[in-house]
Amino acid sequence: MYNNALNLLSILILISSFTLIANKRQNAYITTFRIQSILLALVSLLVSVRSMFLNKRFDEVIIIFVLIVVFKVFIIPMVMKRTSDKVEYTVEKDFFIGIPFSMLICCGLVVLSWYVIYNIEGITNSNAKNYLIYSMSVVMIGLFFMISRKKAIGQIVGFLVIENGMFLAAMLTTEGMPMFVELGLFFDLLTAFLIMGIFVFKINNTFESIDINKLKNLKG
Amino acid sequence: MILAFLAIPALAAGLVWTNKNKIVIHLTNLVGSMLLLVFSIISLIDINKSKAIVSTGVFKDLFYIDSLSGYIIFITTLAFFLVSLYSISYFGEELRKKVITLKKLKLYYCLSNAFLLSMLLALTTQNMGIMWIAIEATTLASAFLVGFYNNKRAIEAAWKYLIICSVGIAFAMLGIILLYYSSTVTLVGAKNSGLNWNFLVQNASSLDPSILKIAFIFILIGFGTKVGFSPVHTWLPDAHSQAPSPVSALLSGVLLNTAMYGIIRVLAIVNKSLSSSRYTGNLLILLGILSIGTAAIFVLVQQDYKRILAYSSIEHMGIIALGLGICTPISIFAALYHTFNHAMTKSMLFLATGNVYLKYHTKKISSIRGLIKTMPVTGVVFVLGAFAITGMPPFGIFMSEFNTVVGAIFAKHYIIASLFLIFMAVVFAGFIKQLSKMFYGKNVNTEIKKGELDIIGPTVLIILLCITIFIGIYIPGPFKSLLDASTNIILGIGGK
Repeated sequence: MYNNALNLLSILILISSFTLIANKRQNAYITTFRIQSILLALVSLLVSVRSMFLNKRFDEVIIIFVLIVVFKVFIIPMVMKRTSDKVEYTVEKDFFIGIPFSMLICCGLVVLSWYVIYNIEGITNSNAKNYLIYSMSVVMIGLFFMISRKKAIGQIVGFLVIENGMFLAAMLTTEGMPMFVELGLFFDLLTAFLIMGIFVFKINNTFESIDINKLKNLKG
Repeated sequence: MILAFLAIPALAAGLVWTNKNKIVIHLTNLVGSMLLLVFSIISLIDINKSKAIVSTGVFKDLFYIDSLSGYIIFITTLAFFLVSLYSISYFGEELRKKVITLKKLKLYYCLSNAFLLSMLLALTTQNMGIMWIAIEATTLASAFLVGFYNNKRAIEAAWKYLIICSVGIAFAMLGIILLYYSSTVTLVGAKNSGLNWNFLVQNASSLDPSILKIAFIFILIGFGTKVGFSPVHTWLPDAHSQAPSPVSALLSGVLLNTAMYGIIRVLAIVNKSLSSSRYTGNLLILLGILSIGTAAIFVLVQQDYKRILAYSSIEHMGIIALGLGICTPISIFAALYHTFNHAMTKSMLFLATGNVYLKYHTKKISSIRGLIKTMPVTGVVFVLGAFAITGMPPFGIFMSEFNTVVGAIFAKHYIIASLFLIFMAVVFAGFIKQLSKMFYGKNVNTEIKKGELDIIGPTVLIILLCITIFIGIYIPGPFKSLLDASTNIILGIGGK
């Protein structure tokens, strides 16, 4: 029952990554990211509640749940929307590779991560194998999203999706890593996001656009 | 003791904001770096006596310094001390010319101390998760340092640096999660200490090899992005050339070592678990030769004197990876010796370019002529440094590269050794071809006044030159025993 629910949520997160690839506009990126973060928060809630049931003591993963809800569902999308409103916005094609072809590539990435993880003999727990496949696929799709978008906002959203995949991996395969590691991870990535946000403003101010293709001064 | 390493940079980072007098700000940083150097020497003496420093009490099992980390901490603090000394002259000049404001100077000192704090955290902890967090923190702390001058090129370089390194580090996290998983799946009591390096090394033979193999690949690519292995090196020439020269010296000489340290720690675990270094060795040799080759090709066409030094950093990190990949006692000794030589020589070169940039205000090689006549000390140090970094005796780099080739030949990797020598020759040719235009000839630009800027900059350069010559001729006894102990730690041999 528990594993079924976790499987369902993980697959929904994977599907939301596919949805992200299909999005064309910047506001849509942020909404899809929000949905993915809500699903991730549900996963953490499930993991912590079950372990609290079993061990009858306070499990720290609930702190991660609170952090995910506060930051990834509310604050980060809000900051991203504000940034996206303030910088230059031209209605032009944001991606290098057409959407149907991107979908095929993402399917290929999922198959690739399945193939890699399946052939590791050491993972005996078949549930852990599945979770690892889903998380790695989300990371790969986030990476692909990052490299196929022309605007800086797209790159930041790709990085946030990679982050989500990492949290999924950390929570599901090992029943949560030691708490200070997870907390440090979270705040590290939050700071990375803030610094990227500041740099988007700087890029906008000096280059008059956030098209990454224009950053071509340093070559060779 | 260990907390001093973390407390001093944190204090210095905070204290520079409180004062308005620029001399006090400079001195705060300098005193902090001097204290850190003293502490690192004290800890080396401690390690010599008792094999390792562990922390107790609240932070039990969190901090751990043995010969390997002590050695790299020593390199870090020494380089930071000399760079702090040089910053007084460099930023003093920029402040005088009103290129930067006092607030920016404070920002520089605060960020560079935060940068040092995160590097020391990575070097003093034995928890792989905290090490990851610290290495990610170094990217964040140095992002603003790279984009310090806020012009188009600097911001582009900083954005590339931030994005590429953060993505790389994210992959390293996957590797660390897999490492933790491999320990929890087979060992009891691993829930709390499954990320501790000591725990993992002691129980290495019971960790699952297949999971470790894939964890190693992720960590190699992840931390390798920070080290600057080809093909994920693309951020390095931009970041190291656009940053201010003291920051470039720190990035090239110290940060690359810290990321390599992360790889070395995991290398020790995986080698012990697989009982042979063939798997990791092949990967490291491949990445090493690829990096050296890429650097050799790009060095031939550089127009910017800081970019050519950045490509040279990629090459030297490839040499260290090659030494670690061959994994015999002599080659690992050579690789560790090389980290020291490279840190000192590259810092010397980057600080010399700082002086050149302050005088000529351009980064292009073609705009500079007659450097030795205009700035005698800097010019001579630059020429000697260019020879040193490409492997000329009697400098230190020659000895460590020589030892690496000897290690490769003794291990019967003849093709690798020959490729290495060919690439070394190409890099030497590239350096001489590109840089020799700068040194001689007549300086036609009449606005450039002759003479060094002040006395501190050239003094630091001469100190570094003496260090590189000295260590190339003679390795002191304690230094050698430190290197031997570190080699034994990597090879997994017990004892001191």
